[in-house]
Amino acid sequence: MINIKDLTITYSYGDPFHIPFLSFAKGEVTSIIGKNGCGKTTLLRTIAGMLPYSGSIRIGEKECREYRGMDRSKKTAYLPQMIKAVNMDVRTLVEHGRYPWHGNYRRLSAEDKAYVSEALTITGMNEYRDRDLTELSGGQLRRAYLSMIIAQHAEMILLDEPTTFMDIESQELFYRIARQLAAKGCGVIMTCHNIEQGFSFSDRIVIMEDRCVKKTGTPKELVGEKEEFRKMFGAAVKESKDAESLYPYVLIK
Amino acid sequence: MRKYIIPLIILATVSAYALFAGNNAIGTADILSVLAGHGTASQQLILYQVRLPRIIAAISSGAALSVAGYLLQGCLDNRIVSPGILGINNGAGLFVLLSALLFPFHSGAKCMMAFTGALLVTIVVSMLSVKTGMSKTSVVLSGVAISALCVSVIDLIISLKPETVADRAAFQIGGFAAVQFKIVLFAAPMIVVGLIVSLITAPAMDILSLGDEMAYGLGLGVKRYRSITVLCAAVLSGASICMGGLLGFVGLIIPNCVRMLYKGKSRQGMILCIICGAAFLLLCDTISRLIVFPYELPCGLVLSMIGAPYLIWILIKKRKRLGAD
Repeated sequence: MINIKDLTITYSYGDPFHIPFLSFAKGEVTSIIGKNGCGKTTLLRTIAGMLPYSGSIRIGEKECREYRGMDRSKKTAYLPQMIKAVNMDVRTLVEHGRYPWHGNYRRLSAEDKAYVSEALTITGMNEYRDRDLTELSGGQLRRAYLSMIIAQHAEMILLDEPTTFMDIESQELFYRIARQLAAKGCGVIMTCHNIEQGFSFSDRIVIMEDRCVKKTGTPKELVGEKEEFRKMFGAAVKESKDAESLYPYVLIK
Repeated sequence: MRKYIIPLIILATVSAYALFAGNNAIGTADILSVLAGHGTASQQLILYQVRLPRIIAAISSGAALSVAGYLLQGCLDNRIVSPGILGINNGAGLFVLLSALLFPFHSGAKCMMAFTGALLVTIVVSMLSVKTGMSKTSVVLSGVAISALCVSVIDLIISLKPETVADRAAFQIGGFAAVQFKIVLFAAPMIVVGLIVSLITAPAMDILSLGDEMAYGLGLGVKRYRSITVLCAAVLSGASICMGGLLGFVGLIIPNCVRMLYKGKSRQGMILCIICGAAFLLLCDTISRLIVFPYELPCGLVLSMIGAPYLIWILIKKRKRLGAD
């Protein structure tokens, strides 16, 4: 559980970022939707402990800034937008997800290996486990990193634009994995541009504009506010009754 | 384990050859007899005061410089970084020149000053890097700036006191011809400590290779680890420079070759660097003292003459294997 209260993030340029109240629960998928530059990534990076802030971000029983290194990584796992195809195989990458649990000094235990194997199975990357990251496609690379984040076994998973560079099939698979993780009790927070997918696969939506949270609610609560969406994004969503449509919510003018 | 066998065999062979080959006044049978506790005083002197210290110095310097290069390249994510780029070599060079000015009749002072210079430059570069954000670029640029400053002071001293140049030139090419046992006793333990710390913290380098944000997300103290790594590299380079002068090239070539031939975890990569660096520098030193026997070439010269073509060959081989055009 993450509770944000009176959060202010000051930039070196422009207006500060202010959120009076916001919370994220475990067992839910929350999508943060907004245009480029509205502060989605800043919010995620602050929750991940990378940026200084004033106010309060409570993760579990402690304040975010009170967590140190590996203890923080047992609470939140963060997958940034930019990931690197380094010279290592998929299995080794996923094993790095266990770093907060074994550090520099301990070898991988049987429990660690079980988490690695489970993560590879969830993402469908088992067949690629011996493949070098440099040999993977963009979508496979993201799934390999997602496996690592899953193996990290944190309470909350923060995904920054996770479906960038993915084809439709891979995007859908990614969202289904997010749902599966939430069903297991993990909290998933992700930023996305795609309103349609955000509404279709999330339990809660956070709409951001100009470094402010404009609206929060479930997809059902927010789907009616078409005019606001049109103003913000130039498009809105509606529930689809068409059996042939790909998602439960579809994009409309 | 299999990946270490061939480099280890090469290291053992080169070490044995370096021990037994050389001056005819002491043959293989004599060396075995000295090792068994017999032999004349002069034979004992040759073995224990000349040949063994030289072998230990070459092995430990090779291992230390290779790991120093591996650490710096890994933590700055830049394959052209070496102790030389961060100004460590020029810092040591400047202090050697200062020692020639201040303590002209003290041979031991040169080594101590080289070590002090390397360490001091690293501390200054680290402090500067912290001030400028401790990013990959800021560390490299701070190193380049300090290096340039050291060079300008070196040039100033040479302009004012040209007689110091001879000492500096020999030091800058690098070699183990004049290495003394007391200096090996001073530098080798430091290298051992530096290598142990590097190996213990090696898993953090694998995490850092994923990028700063990813590493932070996995709980790594990125700034702290980068500082530890730079400090380790300084201790390793300083101790090596103190024994063999500015043999900087080995810190560039061995880590690059290891990375091209072996992809895997950093700890294994560092162990390979230790073995390969030791074998390579000892081989170069042995060639340098035997190729124009009874005279000697500076080891740094042989190192560059073998190392540079080998690095080019590895680069071409890798490009062909990848099928790149």
